[in-house]
Amino acid sequence: MNLETFEIRVLPSKNKLFRFAFRLLGSSEEAKDVVQDVMIKVWNGREQMAEIQNMEAWCMRITKNLALDRLRSRQRRATDPIESGMEIKNETLTPHERTEIHENMQRITEMIAALPEKQRQVIHLRDIEGYSYNEICEILELDMNQVKVSLFRARNAVKEKFIKINAYGL
Amino acid sequence: MDSKQIEQLLEKYWNCDTSLEEEQQLRAHFRGEVPEQMQEVAEVFRYFDLQKKQQVTHPDFDAEVKKKVKQHRPEGKVIKLVYNYGSIAAGLVVVVAATYFVRQEVRKAYPADVVDTYSDPRLALEETKKALMLISKSFNKAQKEAGRIKVFNEAEEKIQGKSIDDNKESVKI
Repeated sequence: MNLETFEIRVLPSKNKLFRFAFRLLGSSEEAKDVVQDVMIKVWNGREQMAEIQNMEAWCMRITKNLALDRLRSRQRRATDPIESGMEIKNETLTPHERTEIHENMQRITEMIAALPEKQRQVIHLRDIEGYSYNEICEILELDMNQVKVSLFRARNAVKEKFIKINAYGL
Repeated sequence: MDSKQIEQLLEKYWNCDTSLEEEQQLRAHFRGEVPEQMQEVAEVFRYFDLQKKQQVTHPDFDAEVKKKVKQHRPEGKVIKLVYNYGSIAAGLVVVVAATYFVRQEVRKAYPADVVDTYSDPRLALEETKKALMLISKSFNKAQKEAGRIKVFNEAEEKIQGKSIDDNKESVKI
């Protein structure tokens, strides 16, 4: 792989990798570092990776591993605030609407962040990134059954918690 | 899509039976206007949509990665070899240094008793001769004493030999 193919095949996945790392780490600075590490790792091992079919899934898998390494090596303080990780750019909304949307988004972010690690990974890969079940299996190194069970639990947790809270205004 | 279809699709979605396309349909549907009772569900799907727009916030990300990638040189074997031998050499240095210091400590703790006392070699030779003579004298003395013990031994043997002969005779009888 030369630099040109690297730029075409690997570099464009950076946002997906970033979002996944961010979901796992909850910090954009650290997520960025992880993505850079992934890129360098892929580049260094480019000779062995020639036969890899799904480069993006492979990169996602490395991202997962590096992010989890980082999570384990640092003693994450439970009080760390979770960044919402996005700015709502719609300027046409009234300030009130904007805060409301922002609050809701923040609440879902926190809710997903509170899910067990595996469920968080699966719901992110499926519902945000739109990966197929097979790809998710490949990325997370799990079997189909585990993936489906995790997704079922994660979706139901969202359904139970978020929708109920909103419905009763609690 | 009418609301009934959407409800069915949603039910499928919660049960994880939807395909990627169907999930895409749901997302597209909830981007538009939705009735009041669907608002919360719509919120969740809009959240997923919005999250997907999140991008690396670092402005020079690509340039930084490219720079790092270009700087990278494949690890040379020579460097590895030097590194390996270097570690062995470092280990040896540590061992040698440790031995040296331990030896020094031991020497300090037990100073040598024998020290050169003579500066004139002839004098030293005389003294050595004297010492050797003393030793040889003692040896000779000891040999004489040992000669006496020999007499005792011979006597003992004679007695024993006799008694054995006596025994033989008594058996014959």
